[in-house]
Amino acid sequence: MNKNHIIGVFDDEDSLMSAVHEVKEKGFEIWEVFTPYPIHEVIEAMGKKTRFTFAAFIYGFLGAAGVLAFMYYTAVIDWPINYGGKPTNAFPSFIVVTIVITILTVTLASLFTFSLRAKIYPGKAYILPDARSTDDKFVMVFDKSKQNSGSGDLESILLKKGAVEVYEKELQPQI
Amino acid sequence: MDTKITLTKGFQYVTFAMMAIGIAVIAYSFVADPARAWANFLLNNYMFLSIAIGASFFIALQYISQSGWSAMFKRVPEAMMSYIPYAGILMLLLFFGMHSIYHWTHEDALATDTLIQHKAPYLNIPFFFIRMIVFFLAWVLMTRLIRNASLNEDKIGGRSFFEKSELLSKIYIFILAITFSFATFDWIMSIEVHWFSTLFSLKNFVAAFLHGTATVVLVVIILHQKGFYKEMNKSHLLDFSRYVFMLSIVWGYFAFSQFMIIWYGNIPEETEYFAHRWHSGFKVIFYVNFFINWFLPFVLLLPQVLNKNIQVVKAVVIILIFGQYLDLYEQIFPGVMHHPVFGITEIGFFIGFAGLFLFIFAKALAAVPLIPKNHPYLDESLHHHLH
Repeated sequence: MNKNHIIGVFDDEDSLMSAVHEVKEKGFEIWEVFTPYPIHEVIEAMGKKTRFTFAAFIYGFLGAAGVLAFMYYTAVIDWPINYGGKPTNAFPSFIVVTIVITILTVTLASLFTFSLRAKIYPGKAYILPDARSTDDKFVMVFDKSKQNSGSGDLESILLKKGAVEVYEKELQPQI
Repeated sequence: MDTKITLTKGFQYVTFAMMAIGIAVIAYSFVADPARAWANFLLNNYMFLSIAIGASFFIALQYISQSGWSAMFKRVPEAMMSYIPYAGILMLLLFFGMHSIYHWTHEDALATDTLIQHKAPYLNIPFFFIRMIVFFLAWVLMTRLIRNASLNEDKIGGRSFFEKSELLSKIYIFILAITFSFATFDWIMSIEVHWFSTLFSLKNFVAAFLHGTATVVLVVIILHQKGFYKEMNKSHLLDFSRYVFMLSIVWGYFAFSQFMIIWYGNIPEETEYFAHRWHSGFKVIFYVNFFINWFLPFVLLLPQVLNKNIQVVKAVVIILIFGQYLDLYEQIFPGVMHHPVFGITEIGFFIGFAGLFLFIFAKALAAVPLIPKNHPYLDESLHHHLH
């Protein structure tokens, strides 16, 4: 078996973070970090940036503008009806619907954007280096072939920073 | 860590000068136009009271949610609470201005108006002041107890004071929800005696919370820029700006709900309130109110580049304090004056009350060290870090 990945298992967030900063400083390249819950600090430390919030804003803006335009078209242009003597462009009463549809647009569009960008879809084969990262462990994964740049022994650094376990493994997609 | 602010002579003279200007303008305006003077009096006193109440609610909420991040700032809202008794004494002076502000106190209106007769068992002058005294006694008592528990924690230490504060905060929030609702009904809604809205008290409660928090944030930022609160970092600022952002959305939600339901229902005795605020020159205030209190904070505090910028947050909370003035102007003035008025009277009243509030608040803030000592979450607060 070709053990091509080094896996460090941590008990808590603090030791994981100190290890992340240490290996970054020593010049190692982290392949991926698996945590039980999202830790924004890891994403920042790995130098990853996201334009997701901006995309969400655009979806919300388009959703709001779209639903307002739709209501204006139906209630004022296409089929004006007199409701209790109100103007056909009953703007204040459009607002509630606008808020709700905007939330729906943002949620659905963000979900699809995320799935597309991360290439996640139902039935996809996934890579899970250590199943305990879905429970209470924090798992750091290194690609062995890309560790030429780092200085020092990776395993001892991880253990020094509080890893409870360091081992090597071949990663295989699971269904 | 024994940071204690000292009030400079200059600051005290400025507040005294503000009060002197205020007193001069107030004295003049009571001679010139008593109705306008009383409307200003109610507006400014209620405004600074609502800021104090909002700050006290802020601190009670921090206790019951056991929030760690805000522990080191708790002296600021605590010092603001000390304005409540002074507001109470000033509010009692309203006794002399009842006829100028409240239509239901007029004998001839009571004799002919069925609705005022129907409301008379609740809306009569003795009961009005009995309620006012009860409200203020409850607020003063509860805020004193919370403040004392917090000061004793510094002196003696131990977890028991935190637990006591938490219990007191629970009781206080319960009392405040009821008393402040009735207080807004009494003092502000009854100006338009024929009109009623259940959302009114909720909206004003949220307004007090929003603008009280905005004032707390402003004071914290100013102190931070003057070199106090050295431990304050980006995470604290982001928490504060999210707080203001969230509350301005809640304010917008309630303010709009109240308007939209009445607009959609279109029942004459309800729409009369907004019809009045849409005519004779008041309409612009209606829109500017939504713009300042909801739209500006929403847009300015939405992007991360802006809500992490201390200057932007500072600008927004300063605007919000004027937003509270405008919101109350819209609620009080159309019922008393026939046209929008703004001049030396309004400015003088505001300066006078602001001077009084600043003086009392700063005195209370300077009385004890700025950062508490034995709060169980103090360490978490000093090293606060957001993920």
